Amino acid sequence: MKQLVKIITKKDFSTFINALIHDKSYDVVGVQAKGTHYVFDTLSSAQELRLEYDVTILPPKKYFLPQYETLLKYSLEKPFEGKETITDGPRIIIGVHPYDIIALEETDRHYLDQQQDNFYKKRRENTLIIGVDIQNVSERSFAASMKTNTTESGFDLLLTDIGSTYAITIGSEKGNTLLKNYATVKDASSTDLNKITVARNAVLKKYKQKVKIDKKDWSPLLVANYQNAIWEEHADVCMECSSCTMVCPTCFCYDVKDEVSLNLKKGNRMRTWDGCMLKDFTKVASGEVFREDVKERYRHRFFRKGNYLPERYGFVACVGCGRCGSACLPDIADPCNLINELAHFSSEEETGKFFIKEETEVLETGIIHVPRSATITKKIPLNEQDTLFEIELDDKKPLGHKPGQFVEVSVFGYGEAPFGISTPPGNTPLFEIMVRQVGNVTKKLSSLHPGDKVGIRGPLGNGFDMKSFEGKTLLFTSGGTGMVPMRSLINHVLNPKERNKFKDIVILYGAKCPKEITFMDDVDRWKKISNVQCELTVDRCEPSECWGGCTGLITTLFPKIQADRLDSKNTIAVVIGPPVMYKFVIKCLQTLGIPDDNIYVSLERRMKCGVGKCGHCQINGIYVCKEGPVFNYGKLKHLPEAFE
Amino acid sequence: MKQKPRVAVFDFADCEGCELEIADLEEEVLELIEIADIVSFREVMKEHSDSYDIAIVEGSIMRPMDEERLRSIRSHAKILIALGACATIGGINKIRNQWMPDEVKKEVYGNANLKGNELFDVFQTKALNEVVPVDYYIHGCPIDREEFKSVITALALGKKPEIPRYPVCVECKKNENVCQFELGNFCLGPITRAGCKAICPTNNSPCEGCRGLIKKAETECVKEVLERYKLSYEDIRRRCTMYNYGRKECSYDE
Repeated sequence: MKQLVKIITKKDFSTFINALIHDKSYDVVGVQAKGTHYVFDTLSSAQELRLEYDVTILPPKKYFLPQYETLLKYSLEKPFEGKETITDGPRIIIGVHPYDIIALEETDRHYLDQQQDNFYKKRRENTLIIGVDIQNVSERSFAASMKTNTTESGFDLLLTDIGSTYAITIGSEKGNTLLKNYATVKDASSTDLNKITVARNAVLKKYKQKVKIDKKDWSPLLVANYQNAIWEEHADVCMECSSCTMVCPTCFCYDVKDEVSLNLKKGNRMRTWDGCMLKDFTKVASGEVFREDVKERYRHRFFRKGNYLPERYGFVACVGCGRCGSACLPDIADPCNLINELAHFSSEEETGKFFIKEETEVLETGIIHVPRSATITKKIPLNEQDTLFEIELDDKKPLGHKPGQFVEVSVFGYGEAPFGISTPPGNTPLFEIMVRQVGNVTKKLSSLHPGDKVGIRGPLGNGFDMKSFEGKTLLFTSGGTGMVPMRSLINHVLNPKERNKFKDIVILYGAKCPKEITFMDDVDRWKKISNVQCELTVDRCEPSECWGGCTGLITTLFPKIQADRLDSKNTIAVVIGPPVMYKFVIKCLQTLGIPDDNIYVSLERRMKCGVGKCGHCQINGIYVCKEGPVFNYGKLKHLPEAFE
Repeated sequence: MKQKPRVAVFDFADCEGCELEIADLEEEVLELIEIADIVSFREVMKEHSDSYDIAIVEGSIMRPMDEERLRSIRSHAKILIALGACATIGGINKIRNQWMPDEVKKEVYGNANLKGNELFDVFQTKALNEVVPVDYYIHGCPIDREEFKSVITALALGKKPEIPRYPVCVECKKNENVCQFELGNFCLGPITRAGCKAICPTNNSPCEGCRGLIKKAETECVKEVLERYKLSYEDIRRRCTMYNYGRKECSYDE
């Protein structure tokens, strides 16, 4: 559809902007000077506008995902009450360059997917974008070679300086109404339209940076060079400061923290920008860091831009603004330089796969930040560090989970942590989780008692696809706390209503020491069921401890499997345990002749938001909290970050 | 109701500015005393008690008598918190560690006879954790009141306080500042622990590293940046003298 174009004199344009400012219906934000640089900030007069600017220090993402924002307000005195808070009113942002407009459209894909972020959504709905065509090009921008120097969508109005007047391209009905209500314009003539093209073309020669590889070819180039020495060479001089991600218009990962008032009565759940270049980005409560090496983090950032998000959404998550290049002190962050450097290497030699497409469950509520109120109904200490809790949702609706899914449990003032559900699915608001004391949230949870309130979000993630288990022999291997989600699965398949759908069942279970063996009552019950073989082992056993079973790693249990039980091609194997366990157990399974596609695993990563938004749990291109935590090994094995 | 923890505030060689930051909580002090009994705080009250659970200690350790007093405080307290750069990393007081104590005394007091006077019996400056174990750190010169509150509330809730382990650049970028390096200044932000909300660069002053270094000046990346900005190792060594003399890098939990 051809867009309407109007013409406004520069004087009338100032009058238009001043009218908007004086009207006070909107927070009128515009690009303005900050020293020798430019920023978006609230305007007090049209005179402050610097529409000829080259680039702003931060992109306009700060108006949609602010650097710091309150997600929830809660009271520590009331049993459980949290409210989503959004205080922003209507806003107009004036002077957004096309590359930043495109970056916002890309961010929409992430934040306005099936699991919409209400905060982002409300701000997007409340904000009008008045774009401006680029007049001056920043030193590091390579937008022209990314084809992000112009845009035909994503704005309500778009200004082009065509000499003594601005051409205003109308991009939306809202933009049109705004003009009608506040501005004096006339229709554009064909000469005016020509001037727009001339003005846009005149800027092209101002670009000093050019990326040599077309953006659609970034992905194969990166894939072929996953193991290239370049990542390490550059990472050697990386400051790990994440300035590159902070200033990036397409970086949108975040962290969430609980804050409380000094008298401990009230609190806020805060969201703030996080950066994948920071070491603690992938750190889980037990202390494990999943992308510990700077090289891995450095590479991750480029793969996210050039492969992971393109695979997921179909766009390269770089718009060529050049901000990261200017912000990086050792100057290693600029994708233009990196891609041009990689261009010397082949893009055909190796093939790799860093993304898998999975159907994902959609949250019923559509509100992704507010937990549902729930009450602890039972507390059973299992050993010094582990406690089993039974929890009931206060709305008495069934949790409605599948085996393998997880919930995020909130204790206001302490935060939120993910827990595998250890009870089988059922038509009940009751479910169980096991809490191991490793961090602030789990320590607090362990101190709670029946009657205490917690918050629940979920069920989250993908559980086991039970259909694919039908008619098969099932081999369950779990180590340590891997038994928590495994118990849900085992008790589900052993449910008399379900049992006849599956053949024999073999359960292998290992723990560090006898006192860390959990769910002994279940184990004893399983052992008595016909056509079920259940074997236990512990890594070590102190002489003082009483233990009648095996000693040795989980792999020592495999020879004990009664051979006649396993028809390897017709067996489904499920493995859940600590990261170190998978490699060895999967080898045993392969030795047994079980095809990789028949193996399922459930992985642990830092699942903070639980809905594929915050970015912490990524394994290469996938979000463990969304596409997982349950994965088919046959598909997942291609991802180098999965089991390293 | 659970009994409120008893808190005592002490100081050694320092300017008392960090204690002043606590006093500057003003009406929020009323909230503070809802969750804690302040039993000793020389700067703001005359009462004193030796019975306390939490000791908040400002200042560096300069003399044997300081060591003795700090050990005594440690023995009374279940939790010891280092308050401010003098206590956490030695800070400004460590500048004088460039010289021997006798040289320093001579420079300051000339030929005055200080023999046998324990007040002047100085050794090389120490941070608190060079004398006794420190449980928690509230960094900065001075401390950030918000961070003080967050550490106190964390402890009151039984949480481990979360102190950032990433550089000041993260907070500086969020504040949309023009980079100090671009302005021609030499800023320690890239290697200094955040948590101050980048207060110095936000107010047009380069970071001096008061919250402790999280990267050694000898690291490859630092060398690269120094080279790019035509600075020498000597430049960074001098810059780090202000707060981090003799200290290469903070440990993870510090």
